[in-house]
Amino acid sequence: MYNYYMDNNMFRESRPELFNLNVGYDNGNMFSNLYDSYKNYKPVNLKAKDDREKLLLDLSRVSFAAHELKLYLDLNPNDNSMLALYNDYENKCRELTDIYEKRYGALNSNSKYLNKVPFNWVEGIWPWEEKFNV
Amino acid sequence: MFKYSKRLQYPVNIKKKDLRMAKYLVTQYGGSNGELAAALRYLNQRYTMPDNRGKALLTDIGTEELAHIEMISTMIYQLTKDASLEELKEAGLDTHYAEHNKALYPTDSNGVPFTVAYFATTGDPLADISEDMAAEQKARAVYENLIDLTNDPDVIGPLLWLRQREIVHFNRFKELFEYYEKKLKTNESNTMSNYMFNNFM
Repeated sequence: MYNYYMDNNMFRESRPELFNLNVGYDNGNMFSNLYDSYKNYKPVNLKAKDDREKLLLDLSRVSFAAHELKLYLDLNPNDNSMLALYNDYENKCRELTDIYEKRYGALNSNSKYLNKVPFNWVEGIWPWEEKFNV
Repeated sequence: MFKYSKRLQYPVNIKKKDLRMAKYLVTQYGGSNGELAAALRYLNQRYTMPDNRGKALLTDIGTEELAHIEMISTMIYQLTKDASLEELKEAGLDTHYAEHNKALYPTDSNGVPFTVAYFATTGDPLADISEDMAAEQKARAVYENLIDLTNDPDVIGPLLWLRQREIVHFNRFKELFEYYEKKLKTNESNTMSNYMFNNFM
């Protein structure tokens, strides 16, 4: 296990219309007021099988939440509490990305963990190869 | 400028090959309501949005659509990668094989190649954003058709997720549309483009 703290309900008390990080990511929608299900289908309850998947899943959750808030902020740029939450999510995303890249290799082309041979960007698995995924 | 992240926006892990489904699904890659058309539509329209809100929203949603192209492509790749030539023939993908082998290629479900005629840019923000709202609704409907065509939970999961993204994007475009419409109504000048260049910028 890695040394990071991930609160599924992270700072959400300021914005009750938001789903928590797990539910929002599983749904593909952070905003409960916009959520609309199809027939009786339920979103997949994503679960990690190992430490790497757990880290990638947490990173994906918080990154998705930040993206969702960014779309909202594009249209509501003066919303203080949403902006604060956006920054909390982005900071957590940076922290988790750093932990992941240090341990498993670069996710981003500007990663600081591309400093050893063999060049890590070409190593490892690509996202469309199933074992990479959660 | 765009930067690549070496992960999918939402996980795709399909264990069972299904060539029929791959054939249907490809329309969300290269069909008229697909993700490639969506990305190109928004990333072309963004330059002539009348203010920074529109530029920001179209840039951010257009960028997200690039990640959706990657998800759909991954689904098609995983559904087809273990197929034999016999199986491809049986599923009607022999015509695809003749030209592309098992490589990805953006077409609709009938094999019609992608064309930029699938989207428009008019320079008129209300016209462009109306198209964007319609595009999101059509993509949602196609995702529902695709969900109806499969029983594989590994396929349904990402399709439900992508469908939900269409709903969020539709609502964001609707907000932007209403915001511009209101701005236009409160202005005396008679056309949006006059208004854009004289007052908005």
